[in-house]
Amino acid sequence: MRTALLAWLACIVALCTPVGAVAQKYPVRSIKIVAPFSPGGGVDTVARVIADPLSKALGRPVIVENRPGAAGTIGAALVAKAPADGHTLLLGTISTHGIAPSLYARLPYDAQKDFTPISLLVTQPNVLAVHPSLGVRSVADLIRLAKARPGTIAYASSGTGTTQHLSGALFEAAAGVRLVHVPYKGSAPALTDLLGGQVQLMFDNLPTALPHIQAGKLTALAVTSSTRALRLPDVSTMREAGLAGYEVTSWYALYAPARTPPAVAQRLSSEVRRILASPAVAERLREQGFQPAPGTPEQLGTMTRDEIARWAKVVKQAGVTME
Amino acid sequence: MDLLANLATGFAVALTWQNVAFCFLGVALGTLIGVLPGIGPVATIAMLLPITFHFEPASALIMLAGIYYGAQYGGSTTSILVNLPGEASSVVTCLDGYQMARAGRAGAALAVAALGSFFAGCVATLILATFAPPLAELAFKFGPAERFSLMVLGLVAAVTLAHGSLLKAITMIVLGVLLGLVGADPEVGRMRYTFGLPQLTDGIGFVVVAMGIFAFGEIIANLERGDSREVFTKSIKGLWPTREDFRLAWKAVLRGTGIGSLLGILPGGGATLGAFASYMVEKKVAKDPSRFGKGAIEGVAGPESANNAGAQTSFIPLLTLGIPSNAVMALMVGAMIIHGIQPGPQVMQERPELFWGMIASMWIGNLLLVILNLPMIGIWVKLLSVPYRLLYPAILVLCCIGIYSLNNSVFDVGLAVFFGLLGYVFIKLECEPAPLMLGFVLGPMLEENLRKAMTISRGDPGVFVTRPLSLSMLVIAAVLLVIVVLPAVRRKREEAFQEA
Repeated sequence: MRTALLAWLACIVALCTPVGAVAQKYPVRSIKIVAPFSPGGGVDTVARVIADPLSKALGRPVIVENRPGAAGTIGAALVAKAPADGHTLLLGTISTHGIAPSLYARLPYDAQKDFTPISLLVTQPNVLAVHPSLGVRSVADLIRLAKARPGTIAYASSGTGTTQHLSGALFEAAAGVRLVHVPYKGSAPALTDLLGGQVQLMFDNLPTALPHIQAGKLTALAVTSSTRALRLPDVSTMREAGLAGYEVTSWYALYAPARTPPAVAQRLSSEVRRILASPAVAERLREQGFQPAPGTPEQLGTMTRDEIARWAKVVKQAGVTME
Repeated sequence: MDLLANLATGFAVALTWQNVAFCFLGVALGTLIGVLPGIGPVATIAMLLPITFHFEPASALIMLAGIYYGAQYGGSTTSILVNLPGEASSVVTCLDGYQMARAGRAGAALAVAALGSFFAGCVATLILATFAPPLAELAFKFGPAERFSLMVLGLVAAVTLAHGSLLKAITMIVLGVLLGLVGADPEVGRMRYTFGLPQLTDGIGFVVVAMGIFAFGEIIANLERGDSREVFTKSIKGLWPTREDFRLAWKAVLRGTGIGSLLGILPGGGATLGAFASYMVEKKVAKDPSRFGKGAIEGVAGPESANNAGAQTSFIPLLTLGIPSNAVMALMVGAMIIHGIQPGPQVMQERPELFWGMIASMWIGNLLLVILNLPMIGIWVKLLSVPYRLLYPAILVLCCIGIYSLNNSVFDVGLAVFFGLLGYVFIKLECEPAPLMLGFVLGPMLEENLRKAMTISRGDPGVFVTRPLSLSMLVIAAVLLVIVVLPAVRRKREEAFQEA
């Protein structure tokens, strides 16, 4: 009887403990990772690969909740307004935390002020793939052809303001050429029309384009990252192909709402880094074309700031805005 | 011979007891969610995706595929019984299926739908096994210009869906197109009629509109009928189709299977058009088109066969090229990636057990569906004897759960309520919602492909008539339009279709 009473007292004391002690108690219930894109896509896959080991590490269930819509900004806005106790996290991307701040005139959140960075998770290059009928074998060929026929070669993207689109816009600026941008609703229909030769080229995510490159249906001219891709060692980078300063790398990262206790953020960050370093998880991500890229909260904070500044320029150059 | 060897490989995979069990689990679950309004295959497969981590890849894909085509079976049940289409393709089934149920012939409608679907599923799977690679190439011939012309043809055909005034039908189609265009402009990102609501950025969901207009609208309208609210049980005329039904239906099933198989291969919207196209064809070839919209069995048999055939052949782009042709297929891509299989043209060679195992499982699945569904008909029909005061709140709750589960969004539920009121207004004005739904589905695709085709051709509209496939579809559309608009024909049409 007395032990039971003591246990109850202990519980009450625990409940009354001031906020400062939250870190020791964290987590007190299940944790939700909001994946702001549809199930089955890259963001969803990465969230689920992380969720399982994270749940084992924290001793509470980690649930992935898909809140798709408006290029990930709906899910991001939701987490921005969630309680800052580390129980609601966001799988943010280059889209929600790099491009959207410049793209949307009225974004329902501030990508820097409303979030506490936790850790960068993975990066992924795009690949410049062309339909064989265009008859170009290198980036130099393509630039030559585009200069000879300005505004006639069409590139597909998975939507206005996506990395595929802005990779193209950046290419136009860097190479001094003019292409026609054709936005699709997602990567799959864009790839279909590229394979059918309805459009001539595309800067697609590497894993989706890779099988078609290997089957010889598409020609890979260059990868957009600063280093060559593991899966396409013979394909040069844009820099090697002569476009100095050209680099586009998609990235996914984990964020918590602003004012999350620093101890909670640090705890989450070190767990996530440990998980990404484990061979099983890293191998699983690599299989799907992602490069694990763990980092500290500080590094992600700096990176978010730099990316926002960088894409602001590209978005302005490309002249796109979403109201 | 190759085919037989391949099929042997496939059946060796599909007939293991685990895989038959997974197949059964898939189709049973598919039937269940098809029957539950609003909870579609997309939401279900999304929820089950993480569980399939732990299965063998072939078992996981067999189960997920079973959910998809099982849901096509189940979806027809609610359309026929309570006028509730869960998917774009079952909107058409409502037209005559619900009328048959009202006339006490729900059993016959359900049986014909199940048998038609079974036949279509078997034939389409055979097509898939035999001609998948060459058919996949057909998808590439369809560029933006061809898709635009196909949508034009679809919209012109939508006029035939209505059996009331021509003017009202056209108005509803246009209204549907306009509703479909709500959201961010696909090219420049300008917001159209979003009223500053971020939830409208991606447009209005199909299920939100369909549930609102069909289910909520119908329920509101029934409430004001007071004591005279219908109960179907008064006149149930047997559970099995009559000889006459079979005589009328078998040709419709054949035509529906052909149309559905062909359109199912096309990426984006093809499969949806199948059911509509089949209905239109049945109405055109019928000796007495006036029976349509009043419970013509061909109006159930054709479209149901078409949508099931389309469900099978829409796997062709996925299995042969790794390209998903709709949201469910996109989830299947996700499932393959989770199992470390990068979908693409190499899957057929590198993982033949997966490719042929899935195809073989579709026959087994279709057979299981018929075995599962035919005995259920009696139970479904009994459901109609549940008093409305119990049935309606149950439908409403299930609809709301279904709508919420799509995007985990309360906003969508509210929006569906708005469309419910709109649906009530349509009933009062005697405007039919089916043409609106087709306009709603095709409108955004029409716009998207028009603008894409014009962008690629750099502003030259000639692209629609210089490409032979596109030109032939536009010509057919023009001929159809002339038939509908010619005054003499129109008078005849009104005589035939105007309900006295």
